[in-house]
Amino acid sequence: MIKRTRYRWTELWLLLMPALFLLIGLVALAVVKTQPVTIDQKSLPWQDALTPVLGLIGALVGAHIVLNIIAPDADQTLLPIAGLLSSIGVLEATRLGPDLGQQSLGAKQLVYVIIGLVLCVATVWATQQLRWLQRYPYIWAAVGIALVGVTLAHAHSLSTDAPGRDVLTIGSGALSFQPSELLKICLVVFFASYLTDNREVLALGGTRLGPIVFPPVRQLGPLLVMLGLALLIFVGVHELGLAILIFGLFLAMLYTSTNRLSYVVSGLIAFAGFSYIFYQVFSYARVRVDIVAHAFDNINIATNQGFQIVQGLIAFGTGGLFGVGLGLGDPTFVPASTTDYIAASFAEEFGFAGLLALIGLFMLLVYRGMMIAARSSETFNQLMAIGLTSIFALQTLVILAGNLKLLPLTGVPLPFVAYGGSSLVANFIIIGLLLRLSQSDNLRRQREELKQEKQDLKRAASPTQQLGS
Amino acid sequence: MDSFEFLLILRIALVVILYLAILQIVVVARRELRQAPAFVAGGTRPQSVVGHLLVLDKGSATNIRIGQRLDIEPITTIGRAPTNTIVLDSKYVSVVHVRIIYRDRTLWVEDAGATNKAKLEGQDVVQPIPVRPDNILQVGDVRLRFTL
Repeated sequence: MIKRTRYRWTELWLLLMPALFLLIGLVALAVVKTQPVTIDQKSLPWQDALTPVLGLIGALVGAHIVLNIIAPDADQTLLPIAGLLSSIGVLEATRLGPDLGQQSLGAKQLVYVIIGLVLCVATVWATQQLRWLQRYPYIWAAVGIALVGVTLAHAHSLSTDAPGRDVLTIGSGALSFQPSELLKICLVVFFASYLTDNREVLALGGTRLGPIVFPPVRQLGPLLVMLGLALLIFVGVHELGLAILIFGLFLAMLYTSTNRLSYVVSGLIAFAGFSYIFYQVFSYARVRVDIVAHAFDNINIATNQGFQIVQGLIAFGTGGLFGVGLGLGDPTFVPASTTDYIAASFAEEFGFAGLLALIGLFMLLVYRGMMIAARSSETFNQLMAIGLTSIFALQTLVILAGNLKLLPLTGVPLPFVAYGGSSLVANFIIIGLLLRLSQSDNLRRQREELKQEKQDLKRAASPTQQLGS
Repeated sequence: MDSFEFLLILRIALVVILYLAILQIVVVARRELRQAPAFVAGGTRPQSVVGHLLVLDKGSATNIRIGQRLDIEPITTIGRAPTNTIVLDSKYVSVVHVRIIYRDRTLWVEDAGATNKAKLEGQDVVQPIPVRPDNILQVGDVRLRFTL
């Protein structure tokens, strides 16, 4: 008979890694930070570091236990990877907080992680019937449009001089929230369910003109409308990273569903064209590119031109191969060292080796997501997994390239690691959806194997019947 | 041991744990790949295969190659749409061109609404025709031979 679901031992075993990482980090911080190391660094009583570390270990084990009950067959590596990444985040927030004058930054990040884990588990529980996600694509389109509207209305009410990152945040303090984070998930669900219904027509193409096959306008229309609305945020709040992210996941999902390279090629050509137009029309786009292109030429601390990028590069360089050690660097020289430049803060103290490991963890996360897509038998599930995984992949790529002065810097948070509630919560919801997708697929495969085995048994038991018919 | 050496050990331990985690996850993924049954592109597991089609001439289709063996399932559809069991991306092949059905231990070829009908041994497939081994099926500009 088939093996029934066992306890998720693999997950528990893998969760040992974030726990060990946090505990050793705690010891390192306790040794280093009880006394200030340099003039710029503030001390961190070890009790303050104890709460986030033990709290996070407890929260991860709690999520593991709940998953055992509600989704025993789901992928067992997703929670440990997300857990390890967010424990890097919590440890960094705990370590950087005192230097920035926010003693409880680590505890705050822990609260966000706990909210995220609760919502992750809630998502797994609520999507037991994946059908309701798929059935009404236009509900998700409407929610997405509402989120765009809220963001734009909010951005309009602020002064246009405000830096782009703050424009996305609504509310203040503990209740602040970025609708654009949820917009990504809504878009993926909409694209997935719409493409499931229309992929054949889109794959075959519409009118032909010689060798060129034009895409069918009627089927492509709603997709382009949603894409355009989402990209309106870019024009409205000047957020380049978000635009790249949404456009990228749109292309990834369109290519996966239709298997037509022409969509990707024409999409990239359109992207290049739009980029050129935006560069010519909007001054802020020129400024962003200019900062990257001439970072070392005119470093201006007052206007933050070049200063942040150069400080970031210095932080990367200071780390060297193996880093200066947790708590021994000065990453807070870089503006936004806990959010946009968390990778630089991490790399300064953990070095190139640590940064490579971080990138490796993100690659594993993306690999697991792609495997869920590859193993899934239903188009909708495949597209969902591809879209959700692309969010992680593109976000990581855009922000790391920005930090390393390869792309214009944009305010995309590094998934799970960067400080900030909305992004963390949205990322954990994505993990929840991926867990549900793998759970439903593993269950289906088990049922199929069971059926196959029964048939084989029947055939073996009564060979005469077969001959008689 | 002074605190500097202790911190050095901790620093190394932290990075080592990150790599250990990666190693563990890779080990888990590898084990899963070994255990899992082979899956084909598109994710669906092959059903019971009742025969094969050998590609003799691929015409203007680009997703198959000459000499390739295509699986025939109990109900197989051939056409240009990606939902078909056998997809032929030639412009001379209709969206759903022809259907192969396994019934009474015989393969039957029947029309599925093709613009220019498929040909079995030169004969237009309008009504279901039983297939004999080594019969040649012409779908658009693609020629296929039935084999076991």
